[in-house]
Amino acid sequence: MDTVALLLTLRLALVTTVILLLIAVPLACWLAFTGSRAKVFVQAVCALPIVLPPTVLGFYLLVALGPRTAFGRALTHLLGHPLAFSFAGLVVGSVIYSLPFAVQPLVTGFAAVDRSMLDAATTLGSGRWDRIRRVVLPLSRGSLLTASVLSFAHTVGEFGVVLMIGGNLPGATRTLSIALYDQVQDFQYAQANRTALFLLAICLVALMLLYSLRPESRPRSSDLV
Amino acid sequence: MSNASIPDPELADPVRPANNTPWLTVHMEHRFHHNGAGFHLHLAFSAYAQRTVVFGPSGSGKSSLLRAIAGLLKPDVAAIEFHGTTVCKTIGAGGQPRIFIPAEKRRVGLVMQSPAVFPHLTASGNVAFAMREKDRAAQKEKITQLLEIVEAESLAARWPRELSGGQLQRIAIARTLAAEPTILLLDEPFAALDAPSRQRVSTNLHHWARKRGIPVLTVTHNLEEVFAAGDEVLTMEEGRVMAQGTPERVLTMQRERLLQVLLHAAPAPVREEAHRSSENDRAG
Repeated sequence: MDTVALLLTLRLALVTTVILLLIAVPLACWLAFTGSRAKVFVQAVCALPIVLPPTVLGFYLLVALGPRTAFGRALTHLLGHPLAFSFAGLVVGSVIYSLPFAVQPLVTGFAAVDRSMLDAATTLGSGRWDRIRRVVLPLSRGSLLTASVLSFAHTVGEFGVVLMIGGNLPGATRTLSIALYDQVQDFQYAQANRTALFLLAICLVALMLLYSLRPESRPRSSDLV
Repeated sequence: MSNASIPDPELADPVRPANNTPWLTVHMEHRFHHNGAGFHLHLAFSAYAQRTVVFGPSGSGKSSLLRAIAGLLKPDVAAIEFHGTTVCKTIGAGGQPRIFIPAEKRRVGLVMQSPAVFPHLTASGNVAFAMREKDRAAQKEKITQLLEIVEAESLAARWPRELSGGQLQRIAIARTLAAEPTILLLDEPFAALDAPSRQRVSTNLHHWARKRGIPVLTVTHNLEEVFAAGDEVLTMEEGRVMAQGTPERVLTMQRERLLQVLLHAAPAPVREEAHRSSENDRAG
Protein backbone atom coordinates (compact mmCIF):
# COMPACT_ATOMS: atom_id res chain seq x y z
CA MET A 1 0.00 0.00 0.00
CA ASP A 2 1.32 3.43 -0.99
CA THR A 3 0.82 5.20 2.35
CA VAL A 4 2.03 8.54 0.97
CA ALA A 5 -0.66 8.38 -1.74
CA LEU A 6 -3.22 7.27 0.84
CA LEU A 7 -2.51 10.21 3.17
CA LEU A 8 -2.51 12.62 0.24
CA THR A 9 -5.86 11.25 -0.95
CA LEU A 10 -7.44 11.58 2.51
CA ARG A 11 -6.03 15.10 2.91
CA LEU A 12 -7.35 16.10 -0.51
CA ALA A 13 -10.79 14.63 0.22
CA LEU A 14 -11.00 16.37 3.58
CA VAL A 15 -9.89 19.80 2.34
CA THR A 16 -12.17 19.52 -0.71
CA THR A 17 -15.16 18.56 1.44
CA VAL A 18 -14.69 21.49 3.81
CA ILE A 19 -14.28 24.00 0.96
CA LEU A 20 -17.20 22.48 -0.93
CA LEU A 21 -19.53 22.85 2.04
CA LEU A 22 -18.51 26.49 2.46
CA ILE A 23 -19.33 27.15 -1.19
CA ALA A 24 -22.29 24.80 -1.61
CA VAL A 25 -24.38 25.92 1.40
CA PRO A 26 -24.94 29.53 0.25
CA LEU A 27 -25.18 28.42 -3.38
CA ALA A 28 -27.79 25.76 -2.56
CA CYS A 29 -29.71 28.26 -0.43
CA TRP A 30 -29.90 30.62 -3.36
CA LEU A 31 -30.96 27.84 -5.73
CA ALA A 32 -33.59 26.51 -3.30
CA PHE A 33 -35.28 29.83 -2.57
CA THR A 34 -34.65 32.17 -5.50
CA GLY A 35 -37.19 33.11 -8.12
CA SER A 36 -34.47 34.45 -10.42
CA ARG A 37 -34.45 33.59 -14.11
CA ALA A 38 -30.73 32.83 -13.84
CA LYS A 39 -31.54 29.83 -11.63
CA VAL A 40 -31.83 27.33 -14.51
CA PHE A 41 -28.46 28.41 -15.95
CA VAL A 42 -26.72 28.20 -12.56
CA GLN A 43 -28.31 24.79 -11.90
CA ALA A 44 -27.06 23.52 -15.27
CA VAL A 45 -23.53 24.84 -14.67
CA CYS A 46 -23.45 23.23 -11.20
CA ALA A 47 -24.59 19.88 -12.62
CA LEU A 48 -22.19 19.99 -15.60
CA PRO A 49 -19.40 17.95 -13.95
CA ILE A 50 -21.79 14.97 -13.67
CA VAL A 51 -22.08 14.60 -17.44
CA LEU A 52 -18.82 16.20 -18.62
CA PRO A 53 -15.89 13.80 -19.19
CA PRO A 54 -13.38 14.45 -16.36
CA THR A 55 -10.62 14.85 -18.92
CA VAL A 56 -12.49 17.74 -20.55
CA LEU A 57 -12.85 19.51 -17.24
CA GLY A 58 -9.21 18.75 -16.38
CA PHE A 59 -8.06 20.08 -19.73
CA TYR A 60 -9.90 23.38 -19.38
CA LEU A 61 -8.64 23.81 -15.84
CA LEU A 62 -5.11 23.08 -16.96
CA VAL A 63 -5.40 25.73 -19.63
CA ALA A 64 -7.13 28.26 -17.34
CA LEU A 65 -4.62 27.85 -14.53
CA GLY A 66 -1.57 27.70 -16.80
CA PRO A 67 0.60 30.43 -18.37
CA ARG A 68 -1.59 30.62 -21.50
CA THR A 69 -4.25 32.75 -19.82
CA ALA A 70 -4.02 36.10 -18.05
CA PHE A 71 -5.81 34.57 -15.06
CA GLY A 72 -3.30 31.71 -14.88
CA ARG A 73 -0.34 34.11 -15.18
CA ALA A 74 -1.78 36.37 -12.46
CA LEU A 75 -2.33 33.39 -10.20
CA THR A 76 1.21 32.10 -10.78
CA HIS A 77 2.57 35.56 -10.01
CA LEU A 78 0.46 35.75 -6.85
CA LEU A 79 1.37 32.29 -5.54
CA GLY A 80 4.94 32.24 -6.76
CA HIS A 81 4.36 28.92 -8.56
CA PRO A 82 1.87 27.56 -11.11
CA LEU A 83 -1.31 26.12 -9.64
CA ALA A 84 -1.30 23.22 -12.07
CA PHE A 85 0.70 20.17 -10.93
CA SER A 86 0.40 21.20 -7.26
CA PHE A 87 -1.77 20.11 -4.35
CA ALA A 88 -3.64 23.44 -4.45
CA GLY A 89 -4.39 22.81 -8.13
CA LEU A 90 -5.77 19.37 -7.23
CA VAL A 91 -8.04 20.99 -4.63
CA VAL A 92 -9.38 23.49 -7.19
CA GLY A 93 -10.08 20.69 -9.67
CA SER A 94 -11.67 18.45 -7.04
CA VAL A 95 -13.91 21.22 -5.73
CA ILE A 96 -15.25 21.92 -9.21
CA TYR A 97 -15.56 18.25 -10.12
CA SER A 98 -17.41 17.30 -6.91
CA LEU A 99 -19.58 20.47 -6.77
CA PRO A 100 -22.82 18.76 -7.93
CA PHE A 101 -22.40 16.05 -5.31
CA ALA A 102 -22.51 18.72 -2.60
CA VAL A 103 -25.01 21.11 -4.17
CA GLN A 104 -27.73 18.69 -5.32
CA PRO A 105 -28.50 17.05 -1.91
CA LEU A 106 -28.39 20.45 -0.22
CA VAL A 107 -30.82 22.04 -2.69
CA THR A 108 -33.20 19.09 -2.25
CA GLY A 109 -32.93 19.30 1.55
CA PHE A 110 -33.35 23.08 1.75
CA ALA A 111 -36.31 23.09 -0.63
CA ALA A 112 -38.00 20.41 1.49
CA VAL A 113 -38.03 22.61 4.61
CA ASP A 114 -41.67 23.36 5.44
CA ARG A 115 -42.49 26.86 4.20
CA SER A 116 -44.61 27.53 7.29
CA MET A 117 -41.47 27.09 9.47
CA LEU A 118 -39.73 29.82 7.50
CA ASP A 119 -42.79 32.07 7.68
CA ALA A 120 -42.98 31.54 11.44
CA ALA A 121 -39.29 32.43 11.85
CA THR A 122 -39.75 35.52 9.67
CA THR A 123 -42.65 36.90 11.70
CA LEU A 124 -40.59 36.21 14.84
CA GLY A 125 -38.09 38.77 13.56
CA SER A 126 -35.60 36.40 11.95
CA GLY A 127 -33.78 37.78 8.89
CA ARG A 128 -32.66 35.76 5.86
CA TRP A 129 -29.30 34.50 7.17
CA ASP A 130 -30.69 33.98 10.65
CA ARG A 131 -33.43 31.79 9.18
CA ILE A 132 -30.85 29.79 7.25
CA ARG A 133 -28.65 29.34 10.33
CA ARG A 134 -31.38 28.64 12.88
CA VAL A 135 -34.09 26.90 10.84
CA VAL A 136 -32.94 25.71 7.41
CA LEU A 137 -29.58 24.18 8.38
CA PRO A 138 -30.80 22.35 11.51
CA LEU A 139 -33.76 20.95 9.57
CA SER A 140 -31.45 19.83 6.73
CA ARG A 141 -28.89 17.90 8.78
CA GLY A 142 -29.53 14.77 6.72
CA SER A 143 -28.77 16.63 3.51
CA LEU A 144 -25.62 18.18 4.99
CA LEU A 145 -24.43 14.71 5.93
CA THR A 146 -25.23 13.35 2.46
CA ALA A 147 -23.41 16.25 0.79
CA SER A 148 -20.34 15.78 3.02
CA VAL A 149 -20.10 12.01 2.54
CA LEU A 150 -20.71 12.11 -1.21
CA SER A 151 -18.16 14.91 -1.68
CA PHE A 152 -15.57 13.03 0.36
CA ALA A 153 -16.15 9.65 -1.34
CA HIS A 154 -16.29 11.17 -4.80
CA THR A 155 -12.99 13.02 -4.26
CA VAL A 156 -11.34 9.84 -2.97
CA GLY A 157 -12.32 8.04 -6.18
CA GLU A 158 -11.33 10.83 -8.58
CA PHE A 159 -9.00 9.96 -11.45
CA GLY A 160 -9.42 11.89 -14.69
CA VAL A 161 -9.34 15.45 -13.37
CA VAL A 162 -6.57 14.66 -10.90
CA LEU A 163 -4.39 13.13 -13.61
CA MET A 164 -4.97 16.01 -16.03
CA ILE A 165 -4.38 18.84 -13.60
CA GLY A 166 -2.00 17.25 -11.11
CA GLY A 167 0.04 14.92 -13.23
CA ASN A 168 1.56 12.09 -11.24
CA LEU A 169 4.03 13.59 -8.79
CA PRO A 170 4.68 11.27 -5.83
CA GLY A 171 3.96 13.04 -2.53
CA ALA A 172 2.46 16.07 -4.25
CA THR A 173 -0.30 15.03 -6.64
CA ARG A 174 -0.20 11.24 -6.78
CA THR A 175 -3.46 10.04 -5.22
CA LEU A 176 -4.52 6.43 -4.56
CA SER A 177 -6.47 6.10 -7.80
CA ILE A 178 -3.40 7.20 -9.79
CA ALA A 179 -1.19 4.87 -7.74
CA LEU A 180 -3.55 2.02 -8.68
CA TYR A 181 -3.26 2.96 -12.35
CA ASP A 182 0.58 2.93 -12.07
CA GLN A 183 0.56 -0.41 -10.31
CA VAL A 184 -1.51 -1.99 -13.07
CA GLN A 185 0.77 -0.42 -15.70
CA ASP A 186 3.73 -2.04 -13.90
CA PHE A 187 1.93 -5.44 -13.67
CA GLN A 188 1.99 -5.28 -9.85
CA TYR A 189 -1.42 -6.93 -9.57
CA ALA A 190 -1.13 -7.96 -5.92
CA GLN A 191 -0.43 -4.35 -4.89
CA ALA A 192 -3.09 -3.08 -7.27
CA ASN A 193 -5.57 -5.48 -5.72
CA ARG A 194 -4.83 -4.15 -2.22
CA THR A 195 -5.16 -0.52 -3.37
CA ALA A 196 -8.41 -1.24 -5.22
CA LEU A 197 -9.83 -3.09 -2.22
CA PHE A 198 -8.89 -0.21 0.05
CA LEU A 199 -10.58 2.34 -2.24
CA LEU A 200 -13.63 0.10 -2.41
CA ALA A 201 -13.71 -0.19 1.40
CA ILE A 202 -13.43 3.60 1.91
CA CYS A 203 -16.36 4.26 -0.43
CA LEU A 204 -18.47 1.42 0.98
CA VAL A 205 -17.91 2.50 4.59
CA ALA A 206 -18.70 6.12 3.70
CA LEU A 207 -21.99 5.13 2.08
CA MET A 208 -22.90 2.76 4.94
CA LEU A 209 -22.21 5.60 7.37
CA LEU A 210 -24.44 7.86 5.32
CA TYR A 211 -27.36 5.44 5.19
CA SER A 212 -27.08 4.45 8.86
CA LEU A 213 -27.09 8.05 10.10
CA ARG A 214 -29.94 9.34 7.97
CA PRO A 215 -33.13 9.62 10.05
CA GLU A 216 -35.30 7.72 7.56
CA SER A 217 -33.04 4.66 7.84
CA ARG A 218 -33.79 4.30 11.55
CA PRO A 219 -36.56 1.83 12.39
CA ARG A 220 -39.89 3.40 13.30
CA SER A 221 -41.41 2.39 16.61
CA SER A 222 -44.21 0.59 14.74
CA ASP A 223 -41.61 -1.55 12.93
CA LEU A 224 -40.23 -2.81 16.23
CA VAL A 225 -43.52 -4.31 17.42
CA MET B 1 -57.53 52.06 -5.07
CA SER B 2 -60.66 52.32 -7.13
CA ASN B 3 -63.65 50.05 -6.71
CA ALA B 4 -62.37 48.56 -3.46
CA SER B 5 -65.15 46.93 -1.46
CA ILE B 6 -66.48 49.41 1.04
CA PRO B 7 -68.18 48.03 4.15
CA ASP B 8 -71.92 48.58 4.27
CA PRO B 9 -72.31 52.12 5.77
CA GLU B 10 -75.57 51.05 7.40
CA LEU B 11 -73.58 48.63 9.50
CA ALA B 12 -70.54 50.80 10.08
CA ASP B 13 -70.68 51.15 13.83
CA PRO B 14 -67.33 50.05 15.09
CA VAL B 15 -66.14 50.43 18.64
CA ARG B 16 -63.85 53.38 18.14
CA PRO B 17 -61.36 54.95 20.53
CA ALA B 18 -61.71 58.60 21.58
CA ASN B 19 -59.02 59.82 19.14
CA ASN B 20 -60.78 57.93 16.31
CA THR B 21 -57.45 56.68 14.89
CA PRO B 22 -57.44 53.22 13.36
CA TRP B 23 -54.64 50.90 14.45
CA LEU B 24 -54.84 49.21 11.08
CA THR B 25 -55.79 50.51 7.66
CA VAL B 26 -55.84 48.16 4.70
CA HIS B 27 -56.44 48.95 1.05
CA MET B 28 -55.33 46.08 -1.10
CA GLU B 29 -55.88 44.18 -4.29
CA HIS B 30 -54.28 40.88 -5.13
CA ARG B 31 -54.98 38.31 -7.80
CA PHE B 32 -54.14 34.66 -7.17
CA HIS B 33 -53.75 32.36 -10.15
CA HIS B 34 -54.01 28.64 -9.68
CA ASN B 35 -54.47 26.09 -12.48
CA GLY B 36 -56.14 28.64 -14.72
CA ALA B 37 -58.64 29.68 -12.03
CA GLY B 38 -58.30 33.04 -10.34
CA PHE B 39 -59.19 34.54 -6.98
CA HIS B 40 -59.38 38.26 -6.50
CA LEU B 41 -58.73 39.76 -3.07
CA HIS B 42 -60.10 43.29 -3.02
CA LEU B 43 -60.24 44.92 0.40
CA ALA B 44 -60.57 48.32 2.02
CA PHE B 45 -61.17 48.75 5.73
CA SER B 46 -59.85 50.29 8.93
CA ALA B 47 -59.77 48.53 12.30
CA TYR B 48 -60.38 50.59 15.41
CA ALA B 49 -61.33 48.17 18.17
CA GLN B 50 -58.57 46.56 20.23
CA ARG B 51 -60.21 43.18 19.56
CA THR B 52 -61.28 42.89 15.95
CA VAL B 53 -62.53 39.71 14.33
CA VAL B 54 -62.58 38.82 10.65
CA PHE B 55 -65.41 36.37 10.08
CA GLY B 56 -66.14 34.50 6.89
CA PRO B 57 -66.35 31.13 5.21
CA SER B 58 -63.28 29.10 4.23
CA GLY B 59 -61.71 30.39 1.05
CA SER B 60 -62.94 33.95 1.49
CA GLY B 61 -59.36 35.29 1.69
CA LYS B 62 -59.04 35.75 5.46
CA SER B 63 -55.66 34.02 5.82
CA SER B 64 -54.27 35.86 2.78
CA LEU B 65 -55.32 39.12 4.38
CA LEU B 66 -53.32 38.23 7.52
CA ARG B 67 -50.31 37.21 5.42
CA ALA B 68 -50.42 40.56 3.63
CA ILE B 69 -50.62 42.48 6.92
CA ALA B 70 -47.74 40.44 8.33
CA GLY B 71 -45.62 41.07 5.22
CA LEU B 72 -45.54 37.45 4.02
CA LEU B 73 -47.59 38.31 0.93
CA LYS B 74 -46.72 41.19 -1.36
CA PRO B 75 -50.06 42.42 -2.76
CA ASP B 76 -50.34 43.61 -6.36
CA VAL B 77 -51.68 46.94 -5.14
CA ALA B 78 -51.70 47.98 -1.51
CA ALA B 79 -51.57 50.67 1.11
CA ILE B 80 -51.28 49.18 4.59
CA GLU B 81 -50.77 51.28 7.70
CA PHE B 82 -50.16 50.39 11.35
CA HIS B 83 -51.18 53.22 13.71
CA GLY B 84 -50.83 55.65 10.80
CA THR B 85 -47.37 54.39 9.75
CA THR B 86 -47.17 52.96 6.24
CA VAL B 87 -45.67 49.48 6.08
CA CYS B 88 -46.62 48.73 2.46
CA LYS B 89 -47.47 51.07 -0.38
CA THR B 90 -47.59 50.47 -4.13
CA ILE B 91 -48.50 52.68 -7.03
CA GLY B 92 -50.94 51.59 -9.71
CA ALA B 93 -51.82 48.07 -10.76
CA GLY B 94 -48.79 45.78 -10.66
CA GLY B 95 -46.53 48.61 -9.52
CA GLN B 96 -43.43 47.82 -7.56
CA PRO B 97 -43.68 48.52 -3.84
CA ARG B 98 -42.62 52.02 -3.00
CA ILE B 99 -42.59 51.13 0.64
CA PHE B 100 -42.33 47.56 1.82
CA ILE B 101 -41.24 46.92 5.38
CA PRO B 102 -40.12 43.27 5.39
CA ALA B 103 -42.02 40.84 7.59
CA GLU B 104 -39.12 40.36 10.01
CA LYS B 105 -39.12 44.09 10.78
CA ARG B 106 -42.87 44.66 11.17
CA ARG B 107 -43.10 43.21 14.68
CA VAL B 108 -46.38 41.58 13.84
CA GLY B 109 -47.16 38.43 15.82
CA LEU B 110 -48.84 35.87 13.60
CA VAL B 111 -50.30 32.57 14.81
CA MET B 112 -51.36 30.48 11.85
CA GLN B 113 -53.70 27.49 11.73
CA SER B 114 -50.65 25.29 11.26
CA PRO B 115 -48.58 25.83 14.43
CA ALA B 116 -45.20 25.42 12.61
CA VAL B 117 -43.38 24.64 15.83
CA PHE B 118 -39.67 24.07 15.10
CA PRO B 119 -39.08 20.31 15.44
CA HIS B 120 -35.38 20.69 16.30
CA LEU B 121 -36.11 22.76 19.43
CA THR B 122 -37.89 21.86 22.65
CA ALA B 123 -41.08 23.70 23.61
CA SER B 124 -39.08 26.20 25.70
CA GLY B 125 -36.48 26.47 22.90
CA ASN B 126 -39.28 27.41 20.54
CA VAL B 127 -40.60 30.06 22.93
CA ALA B 128 -37.06 31.43 23.37
CA PHE B 129 -36.51 31.65 19.58
CA ALA B 130 -37.37 35.32 19.30
CA MET B 131 -36.57 36.49 22.81
CA ARG B 132 -34.65 39.67 23.05
CA GLU B 133 -33.43 39.09 26.61
CA LYS B 134 -29.75 38.15 26.73
CA ASP B 135 -29.88 37.08 30.36
CA ARG B 136 -30.67 33.36 30.74
CA ALA B 137 -32.49 33.77 34.05
CA ALA B 138 -34.72 36.50 32.58
CA GLN B 139 -35.38 34.29 29.55
CA LYS B 140 -36.34 31.36 31.74
CA GLU B 141 -38.70 33.49 33.81
CA LYS B 142 -40.37 34.89 30.72
CA ILE B 143 -40.75 31.42 29.17
CA THR B 144 -42.50 30.24 32.35
CA GLN B 145 -44.83 33.27 32.32
CA LEU B 146 -45.75 32.79 28.67
CA LEU B 147 -46.29 29.05 29.04
CA GLU B 148 -48.62 29.82 31.96
CA ILE B 149 -50.73 32.03 29.69
CA VAL B 150 -51.31 29.11 27.33
CA GLU B 151 -51.51 26.59 30.20
CA ALA B 152 -48.49 24.64 28.98
CA GLU B 153 -45.98 25.00 31.86
CA SER B 154 -45.53 21.24 32.07
CA LEU B 155 -44.53 21.01 28.39
CA ALA B 156 -41.41 23.20 28.61
CA ALA B 157 -38.88 20.38 28.22
CA ARG B 158 -40.87 18.35 25.73
CA TRP B 159 -40.00 17.93 22.05
CA PRO B 160 -42.60 18.85 19.41
CA ARG B 161 -42.85 15.20 18.24
CA GLU B 162 -44.14 14.32 21.74
CA LEU B 163 -46.94 16.92 21.66
CA SER B 164 -50.53 16.80 20.41
CA GLY B 165 -51.98 19.28 17.92
CA GLY B 166 -53.53 21.38 20.69
CA GLN B 167 -50.30 21.43 22.70
CA LEU B 168 -48.32 22.49 19.62
CA GLN B 169 -50.79 25.32 19.07
CA ARG B 170 -50.27 26.51 22.66
CA ILE B 171 -46.48 26.55 22.13
CA ALA B 172 -46.91 28.48 18.88
CA ILE B 173 -48.99 31.11 20.69
CA ALA B 174 -46.47 31.46 23.54
CA ARG B 175 -43.64 31.75 21.00
CA THR B 176 -45.45 34.55 19.18
CA LEU B 177 -46.00 36.50 22.40
CA ALA B 178 -42.30 36.10 23.29
CA ALA B 179 -41.35 38.19 20.25
CA GLU B 180 -43.14 41.18 21.86
CA PRO B 181 -45.27 42.05 18.83
CA THR B 182 -46.95 45.43 18.47
CA ILE B 183 -49.89 43.85 16.61
CA LEU B 184 -51.23 40.34 17.06
CA LEU B 185 -52.82 38.38 14.20
CA LEU B 186 -54.50 35.10 15.03
CA ASP B 187 -55.66 32.70 12.32
CA GLU B 188 -58.04 30.17 13.90
CA PRO B 189 -55.54 29.85 16.74
CA PHE B 190 -57.67 27.72 19.03
CA ALA B 191 -59.05 25.31 16.45
CA ALA B 192 -57.10 22.37 17.91
CA LEU B 193 -58.11 23.07 21.54
CA ASP B 194 -61.10 21.63 23.37
CA ALA B 195 -63.88 24.10 24.24
CA PRO B 196 -63.01 24.79 27.93
CA SER B 197 -59.26 25.18 27.16
CA ARG B 198 -60.09 27.39 24.20
CA GLN B 199 -62.07 29.74 26.38
CA ARG B 200 -59.42 29.94 29.13
CA VAL B 201 -56.45 30.38 26.77
CA SER B 202 -58.37 32.95 24.72
CA THR B 203 -59.23 34.93 27.87
CA ASN B 204 -55.60 34.81 29.09
CA LEU B 205 -54.31 35.85 25.69
CA HIS B 206 -56.69 38.80 25.30
CA HIS B 207 -55.96 39.88 28.88
CA TRP B 208 -52.21 39.81 28.10
CA ALA B 209 -52.73 41.86 24.93
CA ARG B 210 -55.10 44.37 26.55
CA LYS B 211 -52.66 44.97 29.42
CA ARG B 212 -49.98 45.91 26.88
CA GLY B 213 -52.28 47.84 24.55
CA ILE B 214 -51.64 45.39 21.73
CA PRO B 215 -54.48 45.24 19.19
CA VAL B 216 -55.60 41.75 18.15
CA LEU B 217 -57.05 40.74 14.79
CA THR B 218 -58.58 37.26 14.94
CA VAL B 219 -59.66 35.32 11.90
CA THR B 220 -62.37 32.72 12.40
CA HIS B 221 -65.32 31.00 10.85
CA ASN B 222 -66.59 30.06 14.30
CA LEU B 223 -69.59 32.18 15.27
CA GLU B 224 -69.06 31.61 18.98
CA GLU B 225 -65.53 33.00 18.71
CA VAL B 226 -66.79 36.17 17.02
CA PHE B 227 -68.69 37.10 20.16
CA ALA B 228 -65.95 35.87 22.49
CA ALA B 229 -62.99 37.58 20.82
CA GLY B 230 -64.36 40.60 19.02
CA ASP B 231 -65.47 44.11 19.94
CA GLU B 232 -65.74 44.76 16.23
CA VAL B 233 -66.30 42.32 13.40
CA LEU B 234 -65.65 42.39 9.68
CA THR B 235 -67.39 39.84 7.54
CA MET B 236 -65.61 38.64 4.41
CA GLU B 237 -66.92 36.81 1.38
CA GLU B 238 -65.11 35.97 -1.85
CA GLY B 239 -62.20 38.25 -1.13
CA ARG B 240 -64.24 41.30 -0.08
CA VAL B 241 -65.29 42.90 3.18
CA MET B 242 -69.10 42.74 3.22
CA ALA B 243 -69.85 44.44 6.53
CA GLN B 244 -68.18 45.97 9.56
CA GLY B 245 -69.55 46.80 13.00
CA THR B 246 -70.30 45.33 16.40
CA PRO B 247 -70.83 41.56 16.34
CA GLU B 248 -74.50 41.87 17.30
CA ARG B 249 -75.39 44.30 14.53
CA VAL B 250 -73.33 42.74 11.77
CA LEU B 251 -74.35 39.18 12.47
CA THR B 252 -78.03 40.01 13.04
CA MET B 253 -78.13 41.78 9.71
CA GLN B 254 -76.33 38.92 8.06
CA ARG B 255 -78.79 36.41 9.55
CA GLU B 256 -81.72 38.41 8.17
CA ARG B 257 -80.14 38.60 4.75
CA LEU B 258 -79.57 34.85 4.79
CA LEU B 259 -83.21 34.28 5.78
CA GLN B 260 -84.34 36.49 2.89
CA VAL B 261 -82.25 34.47 0.46
CA LEU B 262 -83.62 31.21 1.83
CA LEU B 263 -87.21 32.46 1.73
CA HIS B 264 -86.78 33.71 -1.80
CA ALA B 265 -85.79 30.22 -2.86
CA ALA B 266 -88.58 28.55 -0.86
CA PRO B 267 -91.99 27.46 -2.30
CA ALA B 268 -94.88 29.98 -2.14
CA PRO B 269 -96.77 28.41 0.86
CA VAL B 270 -93.60 28.54 2.98
CA ARG B 271 -93.05 32.19 2.01
CA GLU B 272 -96.64 33.11 2.92
CA GLU B 273 -96.34 31.32 6.27
CA ALA B 274 -93.09 33.17 7.02
CA HIS B 275 -94.71 36.47 6.05
CA ARG B 276 -97.71 35.83 8.38
CA SER B 277 -95.35 34.84 11.19
CA SER B 278 -93.35 38.02 10.69
CA GLU B 279 -96.56 40.14 10.72
CA ASN B 280 -97.67 38.46 13.93
CA ASP B 281 -94.24 39.11 15.50
CA ARG B 282 -94.55 42.80 14.68
CA ALA B 283 -98.13 42.99 15.97
CA GLY B 284 -97.12 41.14 19.15
